[in-house]
Amino acid sequence: MKTLLLALAWGGCLLLFSSCASTSKNTVVLQPDPDGKTGELVVSNRGGSQVLTQPGQATQIVDATAAPSTPTRAEDDQIAKTFGPALAALPEPPVRYVLYFQSASTTLTADSQKLVAEILANVKARQSTDLSIVGHSDRKGPRQLNYRLALDRALAVKSLLISKGVDPSIIEAESHGEDNPLIKTEDEVAEPRNRRVEVTVR
Amino acid sequence: MKSLALAVAAVLVGFLTSAAASDGSVARVKTVQGPASIIRGQSVVPAVSNEKLFQGDTLRTGADASLGVVFKDDTILSLGPNSELVVDVFLYAPAEGKLSIVTRMLRGTAAYVSGIIAKLSPQSARFETPVATIGIRGTRFLVKVDAD
Repeated sequence: MKTLLLALAWGGCLLLFSSCASTSKNTVVLQPDPDGKTGELVVSNRGGSQVLTQPGQATQIVDATAAPSTPTRAEDDQIAKTFGPALAALPEPPVRYVLYFQSASTTLTADSQKLVAEILANVKARQSTDLSIVGHSDRKGPRQLNYRLALDRALAVKSLLISKGVDPSIIEAESHGEDNPLIKTEDEVAEPRNRRVEVTVR
Repeated sequence: MKSLALAVAAVLVGFLTSAAASDGSVARVKTVQGPASIIRGQSVVPAVSNEKLFQGDTLRTGADASLGVVFKDDTILSLGPNSELVVDVFLYAPAEGKLSIVTRMLRGTAAYVSGIIAKLSPQSARFETPVATIGIRGTRFLVKVDAD
């Protein structure tokens, strides 16, 4: 009977995996970003926390109540052995194009018009089925109006791409208004680099 | 009258397209190798290329399988064999101040490249394992969770 109870407890432990955290060993490895820089990870639990800042730094966690281990350097061959299949499955990063407009209009600048051909070529090359168009504004003027202007610009780009043969069903157009700037500014500051439409080909 | 109807339609279109994605999808499957599936509520959907993912979905790979997805904010995530991960939260609507990505790994191996949410609001990007929480300050990392 005692054995049965133990067996049940163990079975429950497997089922409710997260409540039996002490049996799970975790490893976290920081890697350089695609652009070569390295960011920061904060690995924490009830036992404490560790900050990883160097490429290849790793920490291990064995228990939800025991602090993550002091960071050590993970060997490249060990990384390849453990994470090879996951790394091989990492999709290509999306490509983002930034289009700019003539002042207070939904007409593209000449440079940006040239980019449109590149976008079309990339949609074909990737056989993309997922294209997002996001309009952005600067913080000059009322927030609500900026939302609307950025949306109009996104929709103008959407119409343009559809007119060039892109399947409308793969496009999602939206506005981030003044809330997703390239260059952070105070409110009411005119910043031409923030008046843009970003087209992301995934 | 016609122009009024058009204006109303334009406003409606604007309203609809302001959501992160009109169908609520949060990511798409981009790479698949071997048997992989998406568990959505009571149903199990085979993970095939271009399949849409929704908040709450669980991704699962079998032996020798792998899976790669790209989120709406350009976060890129992949799983190695025998892995399981839950997309607990994904909110991406900067204009409404809604930014959050929380993924929870149950077992296996994963590679992660953070996207725009982590850039705009680092405290809103989190990766959880059974024994720890990883706060992401704009970066790429690997995670291994042993299930036994």
